[in-house]
Amino acid sequence: MTTPVVQISHLSFGPVNKPILDNISLELEAGHFLGIVGPNGAGKSTLLNIIAGLTAPNSGHIDLFGRCLTRFSRHKLLRQIGFLHQLHDHAPRLPMRIRDVVAMGLADYATPWRRVMHSDAIREALKRVDMDHLANADFRQLSGGQRQRARLARALVRKPRLLLLDEPSAALDSVRQEKLFQLLRKLCDDTGMSVIMVEHDIAAISSHVDSVACLNRKIHHHAMKGEDIPNNVWRAMYGDHIHIMAHDARCIGCAPGEPMHAPDNQHE
Amino acid sequence: MHPTINMNDLIFEFLASPVMREALPPALLIAIVTASMSVMVMAHRLSFLTVGVSHASLAGLGLAVTLSLPLLPTATVFAVLIALLLALIPRKKGISEDAGTGILFAGSMALGVLLISTANSAEVDLFGLLFGNILTISPVDLKWLYLMSGLIPVLFFLAARAWWSIAFDAVTADASGLPVSSLRLLLYGLVGLTVILCVKLAGIVLTAGMMILPAACAWFWGRSLFSLWLLSVLFSLLGTITGLIWSYVYEWPSGATVVLALCALFIISWSLNWGKSWATAYKG
Repeated sequence: MTTPVVQISHLSFGPVNKPILDNISLELEAGHFLGIVGPNGAGKSTLLNIIAGLTAPNSGHIDLFGRCLTRFSRHKLLRQIGFLHQLHDHAPRLPMRIRDVVAMGLADYATPWRRVMHSDAIREALKRVDMDHLANADFRQLSGGQRQRARLARALVRKPRLLLLDEPSAALDSVRQEKLFQLLRKLCDDTGMSVIMVEHDIAAISSHVDSVACLNRKIHHHAMKGEDIPNNVWRAMYGDHIHIMAHDARCIGCAPGEPMHAPDNQHE
Repeated sequence: MHPTINMNDLIFEFLASPVMREALPPALLIAIVTASMSVMVMAHRLSFLTVGVSHASLAGLGLAVTLSLPLLPTATVFAVLIALLLALIPRKKGISEDAGTGILFAGSMALGVLLISTANSAEVDLFGLLFGNILTISPVDLKWLYLMSGLIPVLFFLAARAWWSIAFDAVTADASGLPVSSLRLLLYGLVGLTVILCVKLAGIVLTAGMMILPAACAWFWGRSLFSLWLLSVLFSLLGTITGLIWSYVYEWPSGATVVLALCALFIISWSLNWGKSWATAYKG
C-alpha cells in the first residue's frame, strides 16, 4: 500500500464552543482529485490554509507525504506543494513579466545563484495554461482571468505532488473553467499529482473530480465518483430553506433516476 | 558661484577639488546601497518606515552624544532596534504599521531633541545631523561606512528574490516554504542599517529621499527586479553626482542638493512616462 499524500486525523480549529473546523479526517492518495464544496464560512479556505501549513490547528494531526507537518518540517514539505489562494492583489504594483511571476513558483527561486529565468519548466507551465505567447508581457496589464492563469502556472511550475486550489475558477469564463478542470484531471492521471480544490459550483467540477467532500464545519459526506449525496447532507450544510433541483445525473451527488438534486445556492 | 563657467571646466574643477575627491567615493557608495534598498522599500511599501527610522535615529545620535559613545555605531544599533520593533509591534498588539511608526518616530525624535539639547553645543553638529554633510566625513566614519556598504549588498543579494516574492504575494511565499517572518525582520533591520548609512550624506530629515526616490524614478521603466534595481542604481548615481556638482558650484548643502537632483529626475522620469503613455493612447 502506498503512503497517502495527505492524511488528516481528528483535526479541529477555532473556539471549542464554536469550532470553525470540527473533527475533520481525510485521506488522499496520489493522483486523487478531491473537490471540497460548502457554503460561505464553512471553513473550506481554513482547511486549505491548515494543509498548506499557514495556520496551525488546535488539535488533530496532519501527515503530508507520510511525514508529520510541524513547524520544523513544514519548510521541506511545502516545497512539494503548489498553492493558489483567493486573497489576490487586484491591482498589482510590482513591475514584472509573466515569466518572472511563474519563476517565483520554482522551489529554488529564492536561491540567488540559481539562474531560473529561462527555465524550461517556466515555458512548460505557461504552455499548460495557454499563456506561453505572453511570457514577456507585463503582469499588471493582464485581465483578471489571465492573471489567475499565470498564478496557476506559478503553482504548477514546481511540479508539485500536491496542489491546493482555493476557488481557482473565480475569475475565469466558463470555457476557461472547463479547460482548467480538464487540465487538472489530466495532471492527476498523467503525473500522479493530487489536487484538493475548493469550489462553490459542484455541477462544474463533478465530472472531473474523483470525490467531493461536503464541508460545513465538519465533513458531512465524502462522495466518491458515481455516489449519491443524500438530501439530508445538503440540508445539513445549507439549511432547510434550500430548493433542490435536478441536473446532470452523471455527476457526483446526483443519483440516476431520482427527480433531483443539487441545491440552488450551492451554485453561488 | 560661477555662472559663466562651461560644463567641462566645471566638472574638471569639481574633480580636482580635494574635498569633493574625498567625498565622491563614499557618496557614490551610499548612492548604490540606498538605491538597491529603495527598490525593496517601494516594493514592500516601507516609505513611511524609512522616514520613521531616520527620524528616530536622532535619539540614537543623542544617546551617543550624551554618553560619549561613537556616533555612527550607536545610531546604527538604535536604528536597527527601532526598525525591528516596528516590524514586531504592530503584529503583536493589533496596532497598524503606520500608527506604530508614528508613535516610535515621535517618541524617539522627542528623546533625541532632549538629549541633544542637554549636550554641549560644541559637540554636536546639529545641521550636519539633520541635513547631512558628506564633505566632513571623518576617517572613522568612513571605515564604518565601508563596512556597512559591504554588508548590506551581500545580504541584499542573498535575500532579494525572497523579498521580491514576499512583496508580490506573501501568502504564497509563506505556503511555498519561505521563512516569511524572518525575512521581513531581516528586511526591516537592513532598512535601519541603510538609513544610518545614508544619514551622513542626506541627514536625518532628507534620508527618506535617498531611500525612496531612486526606485520611484525607476518604477516607471523597470520590467523586472533586475532592470528595476539597475535603473534605480543609475538614477541614484546620476542624482548624487549632479547634486554634488550643483552643491560645489553654488555652495549649497550637499545632502539637500542631492535630494533635489533626485526629485528633478523623478519629475523628468514621470513626465517622460506620462508622455509615452499619452502618445501610445493617442496613436492607438
